[in-house]
Amino acid sequence: MEQNSRQTDVTFLWNGRPVTGRSGDSVAAALWRAGITTLARSRKVHRPLGYSGSYPTGVLARVNGRPNVRIDQVAVEAGLVVEMQNTWPSPRFDLLRLAQALPPKLVYGGFEHGAWMPKSGLAYRLAERAMANLAGVARPADTSLAAAAVAGERLDVDCLVVGGGPAGIAEANRHAERGGTVALVTRGDSLARFASSMGAALDTLDPRVRLFTGMELFGAYRDGALMVGAPHDNRRGAVAFVPRETVLATGRRSIPPMVRGSQLPGVLDAYAALQLAAVHRVMAGQRVAVVGTGAEMDIAKKLAVLGVDVVHRGPVAELSEIMGRRRVTGIRAGTQIRCDAVVHAGPWRADPSLGFQASGEGMFQVQAHPLPQSFSIVGAAARGDERIHAARHVHPDTLVCPCMDVTAGELYCHIDAGETDPEVLKRLTSCGMGTCQGFPCWENMLALLAARIGVEPEMFARPTHRPPRRSITVAQAAGLAALVEPDQ
Amino acid sequence: MNTLPLPKRASVVIIGGGVQGLSVAFNLVERGQKDILVLDAGYWQGGASGRNGTLIRPGFASVPWTELFILTVDEWRSWSKRLGENVMFTQRGYSVVSEAEKSEAMLLEGLKVQQSLGVNSRMLSRREIDDLLPAINKARVRAVQHQPDGGVAPHHAVMKGLLAFCQRNGVDVRYRTKISGLERTGPRVSAVLAGDHRIEADCIVSCAGPNNPDIAAMAAVPLNGFGMRIEAMALEPTRPLIKPAIALIDSLAYFHQTARGEVVGGTEVPERPRMSLKVDVPVMANMAKVYLEMFPQLGEVRILRHWAGQFHASTDYAPLLGEHPDLKDLWFSAGWSYGFAGAPAAGRLLAEAIAKGRIDRRMKPFALDRFEKTGPIVEGGIVLA
Repeated sequence: MEQNSRQTDVTFLWNGRPVTGRSGDSVAAALWRAGITTLARSRKVHRPLGYSGSYPTGVLARVNGRPNVRIDQVAVEAGLVVEMQNTWPSPRFDLLRLAQALPPKLVYGGFEHGAWMPKSGLAYRLAERAMANLAGVARPADTSLAAAAVAGERLDVDCLVVGGGPAGIAEANRHAERGGTVALVTRGDSLARFASSMGAALDTLDPRVRLFTGMELFGAYRDGALMVGAPHDNRRGAVAFVPRETVLATGRRSIPPMVRGSQLPGVLDAYAALQLAAVHRVMAGQRVAVVGTGAEMDIAKKLAVLGVDVVHRGPVAELSEIMGRRRVTGIRAGTQIRCDAVVHAGPWRADPSLGFQASGEGMFQVQAHPLPQSFSIVGAAARGDERIHAARHVHPDTLVCPCMDVTAGELYCHIDAGETDPEVLKRLTSCGMGTCQGFPCWENMLALLAARIGVEPEMFARPTHRPPRRSITVAQAAGLAALVEPDQ
Repeated sequence: MNTLPLPKRASVVIIGGGVQGLSVAFNLVERGQKDILVLDAGYWQGGASGRNGTLIRPGFASVPWTELFILTVDEWRSWSKRLGENVMFTQRGYSVVSEAEKSEAMLLEGLKVQQSLGVNSRMLSRREIDDLLPAINKARVRAVQHQPDGGVAPHHAVMKGLLAFCQRNGVDVRYRTKISGLERTGPRVSAVLAGDHRIEADCIVSCAGPNNPDIAAMAAVPLNGFGMRIEAMALEPTRPLIKPAIALIDSLAYFHQTARGEVVGGTEVPERPRMSLKVDVPVMANMAKVYLEMFPQLGEVRILRHWAGQFHASTDYAPLLGEHPDLKDLWFSAGWSYGFAGAPAAGRLLAEAIAKGRIDRRMKPFALDRFEKTGPIVEGGIVLA
């Protein structure tokens, strides 16, 4: 409450209309508080998407002429101009959402395959032009923005800790006490956002640790000898770390439930919901359902303490559908329950990207191997992945990859025709080729595939987790040009 | 996916199910060839066919290259119809941009060759540059050679079309199937070995990309060239900003904006030669620098993903097309550095030669033994170091 008293009102523009948020809010939180839940439209059929904590695609908007800015990471400022993307003719009235009424099969393959397009000549060129406008999602950046390389930094450290949760802090402190140079990189704007939302007692970070907040460590290069991160704020430079040792304290995330409606605005992962409630004092909804793999009881209790009205708590495996057209209006979990938000707390899985990149090798396919000696994993990330509950028949409208708008039905269409190679499914559907580059959607894709053909998801080689998965702008990357010598 | 046991014999075994191998198969089917088997050690689109820049142009600086690529553009134009699948080839133009006096002179030289062979190609006026490339940083542009008939074809659509055609027409295509040896009988190659399994063949065509030297080694014959890797990256999609395909001849960079909005391209930095599918930071940083300098509006766009691809280049970077001079019935489509663009021509020329015994004059300059007989092909118009 003390925090609230210091907050002042800030007015910014959303689709041309003024919205008032509080200083310290992210744009996404301010919009949520104002009751605005649809922040983006999906790529193919313009489904409403919002702040989910799982998929960045729901929070990409145009901010002051810059396309595809993550508005859950931009603080409100007076006069900020924020616009929804991927709409026509205007954000307030998007005619293209009528595409939701198309027969689903018509958009399988989406913008990647021209089954319904003219095959050659001018007719194809015109169709291609139309498609480029539909698929492009965002208008290019305003020409008035001065473009210049953002100078990067190269940093040699004894130890690089990735992740600013309790495990990362403890590990960074331990290394600092031993006298080595330590850097800690966290995606959050502060340390241990989720643990502190849960009210956990925290160690303070040793002042000798160099802290990089608001930074995505997006790539492990040269077997992990080079680790590169970029700040979400694109005015700050990227950093190329050269660590002697790397500690992955990247935690685990809750994987969105694989049921119809899981992409609807109002479905939030536990961390995002806690953060909204504890930091921004914005409730996920008036009536909230919490599902999970065991943690839902604690999370629900904490949410209730923060003022959330929890109307249901139960295992995610019992959840069979999330209902709603523009946002969540209810769930089916044995019985039908009316609610306007669903918070999921499990299954918990670790993002495999950095470990995959540090260890991956192969001539025909890059596959993960045991981590290099210089790597260790601590905290929740070391606890292993929880199994994803997938039925053999998931509703075909279930969205597996919100970034590329890929449904279970589209995947089934290929799986049932005999295509069971994840690399091929990825290329046929573009599943996992969007903003998040495969996490969390490949977790669900592999579980769906395995359940369909009756095998274990672990038997499949994962598609390549490619860096830099939209973490770095062209201007930030250009600032690294003189800092990293080619491997000669 | 075909899970039946491998056959014991095939008329033609094609090693490599990329765009080269499937183009040969497709052209053979069109010429009435039956009993074709395609074997690939990786997955569909897993090799260079799924990792390249997809740029296509007819005009280069030498006669052999330009004649081959005029044919390939003609082929590209008819592929959608002949395959019965939309390969989404679009002739939205290909612009070769020079930033220095020396490269401008080279473009002018190349233009003469192209025009003498009937390629639609011209140098753009400043005004035309403004119209065609409104977003380009004009201060950096010295000259632009523009080929309106050039363009791009998205590899996912091309590979899907080829595979669908092959499967519909009885070609047996097996991915994730690695061969372990080749068998020679007298002066000819006679069989492919996949572990314990032996497949007898009348003719074997190696379209194995970076693994072509391994195939030659299995047959104990020499093959010119070396392995190379190149990196490319895709930016987050935006609405159309760049219309034609672009090659920057001085920056050694090439890119285009795909029909789904991503700017996809690559560049090269000098580094130690190695074969790997892993990427490194210098290419990303240098490519970003090129984008930022040439198209400043891309500065705010984020890089979506970055990957590497491998291929086998000949020492003059021109393809190696034809039967091996030392071993009968072993054919190669190898040594490519513009392999995706050239695949339709290569498939056609090889199929003519294999099925009809006709060696087209446009294929002759690319014979495997040219280095000993006529010397390497000199081509200054390729964007490759």
